[in-house]
Amino acid sequence: MKLKKICELLDCEILNAPKNYEEFEIKYAGAADLMSDVLAFGKPKMLLITGLNSPQAVRTASVIGATAVLIVRKESIPESTVELAKDLGIVLLHANIPMFKACGELYKLGLKDPITSEDT
Amino acid sequence: MAEDKVDELLQKLQKYFSHITASEIMNKNVITLTSERTLWQAKELMKIRKISGIPVVNDQRKLIGIISIEDIIMALEKNYIKEPIGDHMTKRVVSFSPDEPLESIVSKFERYHFGRFPVVDKNKRILGVISKKDIIRAILERFRLIYVHDERRSQILEKEAEWFDKSLITGDYVKKSDADFVFQINYTNVDLAGAGAAKLKSFLTKKGIGETLVRRVAIATYEAEVNVVIHSESEGAIYCWIEKTCIKVRVEDHGRGIENIEQAMKEGYSTATDHIRELGFGAGMGLPNIRRYSDQMVVMSEVGKGVVVEMIFCERG
Repeated sequence: MKLKKICELLDCEILNAPKNYEEFEIKYAGAADLMSDVLAFGKPKMLLITGLNSPQAVRTASVIGATAVLIVRKESIPESTVELAKDLGIVLLHANIPMFKACGELYKLGLKDPITSEDT
Repeated sequence: MAEDKVDELLQKLQKYFSHITASEIMNKNVITLTSERTLWQAKELMKIRKISGIPVVNDQRKLIGIISIEDIIMALEKNYIKEPIGDHMTKRVVSFSPDEPLESIVSKFERYHFGRFPVVDKNKRILGVISKKDIIRAILERFRLIYVHDERRSQILEKEAEWFDKSLITGDYVKKSDADFVFQINYTNVDLAGAGAAKLKSFLTKKGIGETLVRRVAIATYEAEVNVVIHSESEGAIYCWIEKTCIKVRVEDHGRGIENIEQAMKEGYSTATDHIRELGFGAGMGLPNIRRYSDQMVVMSEVGKGVVVEMIFCERG
């Protein structure tokens, strides 16, 4: 699925938009606030959904090779988080909606869970 | 695996694990029966739980016998399956004490050819049961976490020159000044936790290392680095060597150390403060994640003397 579709569906604010980001392909989505949990399910072509708005969310996404981070249920995102996303070339999205809703919508759209999917 | 192969394997392995005792191997979730129950009930229980023998205990949980699948077959043949266990069980049971060493456990398995042995305390009270499967599980667990207890520990943690520069895993000399990648960990700024792992990731990618391998190294290193920042209260460093077939990473600090490594290896166990948890850390997955993503790891630590984590990553299949 193209990242563009996700942005439109959840009406995301786009905080870091690398070149051609709308065409990036997303296959999996994982949601967690604990960064160690993220590391346990990390996969490429993944969207990380998190309620954590610190730079750590972006750094962890970069370490696992995720394509984009969607920060949910936060009013604002610190500048340091946006800066790091720019440095590391990670797409950074923001939607002030509950995590459950974000997950539900994306699941309906056909995104897969990175842990139970068998292909790597 | 054929039975004789299992025996052969156990014999080879026991040399390396001689310090393991019955209490560490045994399955504590032990199913028992009292002597007034019938052989029929024992048979049903064996069928449901897929086991081949059940210890028989009195009302104080003291071991008084054992009933095996052979006893059940005999009872079916001779038609007394409805009778109480107490009349037909084996009363002279061979058992282990909790501190029985692995070597003696394995030799009893060979000598008696029973499928399982109960472990009992001084008063004959039952503590657990050991089957060959339990032994293999305990050994495999040790294989993945080699926690060095001998004199090497203090020498390395005390930075005694000869040992401090040796690999915990291979024993080879690893000169840190020769490392392909070095990063000093800044423990004063939690926001920077993971910066070293991120740098290492891009370093390895530039060196042309495969994406999957790089990701595994990055994840495990990130966990080790975060541990230094949130737990050690000390400076630390990441060293990485790119070797012919593998990548070796060593993360060191000289801080608080780990009180109980076995506990720290358990998923979900963490000593992190609430503040750290709010930052998204402290899930208690650090060391388990490292174990998951590395091919070999050694953790060495002593309270007040720091932690050394060494990890080896190889290209997988």
